[in-house]
Amino acid sequence: MVSNAMPQRNNEGFLEDAQTWTEGVATAIAAEDDVDLTEKHWEIIKFLRSFYKEHEMSPPSNRLFVKAVKEALGEDKGNSIYLMQLFPGTPAKTACRIAGLPRPTNCL
Amino acid sequence: MTTLIMIDQPPYGAWTGREALDMAFSLAAFDQSASLLFTGPGVNWLRQTQHAGGIEQKSVEKNLAAAPIFGMDAILADRAACIAYGLDEHSLIEGVTLVDADADLLTDYDHTAFAG
Amino acid sequence: MTDIQTLHILNKSPDHPRAARCVEMMSAEDGLLLTGNGVLLLARGNLLPGASKVFALIPDVEARGLGDLSGNVSSVDFAEMVTLSLQAQRVISW
Repeated sequence: MVSNAMPQRNNEGFLEDAQTWTEGVATAIAAEDDVDLTEKHWEIIKFLRSFYKEHEMSPPSNRLFVKAVKEALGEDKGNSIYLMQLFPGTPAKTACRIAGLPRPTNCL
Repeated sequence: MTTLIMIDQPPYGAWTGREALDMAFSLAAFDQSASLLFTGPGVNWLRQTQHAGGIEQKSVEKNLAAAPIFGMDAILADRAACIAYGLDEHSLIEGVTLVDADADLLTDYDHTAFAG
Repeated sequence: MTDIQTLHILNKSPDHPRAARCVEMMSAEDGLLLTGNGVLLLARGNLLPGASKVFALIPDVEARGLGDLSGNVSSVDFAEMVTLSLQAQRVISW
């Protein structure tokens, strides 16, 4: 059975438990930011999910988010303009929220 | 400007080590040359197969593995402390360089700061 | 102020293992700046590194009632502490 209920979130909209994330949850959270998820978004979201699985942390700041994407996917995607276009606001925060990860520790 | 951050406290008991890791990551974020040096009981950060779920914490081993991705220079460990805590190349996490943490080593860095 | 290669800043009390490490690691050309509980080292004169230049942050010294500094210890205020840190080639914060 698939539940459409939104899992528990904190006051900034981040999931309390990264395990409760599904693609449906991502789509719903993205919609709150008026973001329509495309293949480009999913590539970053998938990267963040695997980063979290491997390191048990979100990239701690926006700069380190950009660095980590650059390391994994190259300079075309690992730059702040590209990531800002996909994830408006503070890209690390927005992307982590959609990917169901905890809030980056140093993103004000 | 090169910075060496020393961690001489064991993992999990207190937050000082994590704060040090945050500091190191932040320096790397701004492309400042930064390395970590683990000494004394601090070398226990570097032991393989830590499972911290039971004490509801994240594994520092996995956190540390992100250091090269973020552009940190090196993860160093004091050789004598590793021997004292039974850590060798088989039980240490990958990417750790063994050094002698003495006054000579510190002359390579403009700034050395202990965590906590 | 003075030519210091390596300035050690110690804010741990004399019984903290790092205080002993710090003194042990110092060479004669190094400077030692005591701040916070580090100034308690002044009350344990025998532990002070004999050959090195020693500075102590005066508000921390006075707060602990250790106002009378002995001959080879210089007092510094906050501004002088900053100058001292900037002039040293290397700084080690214990």
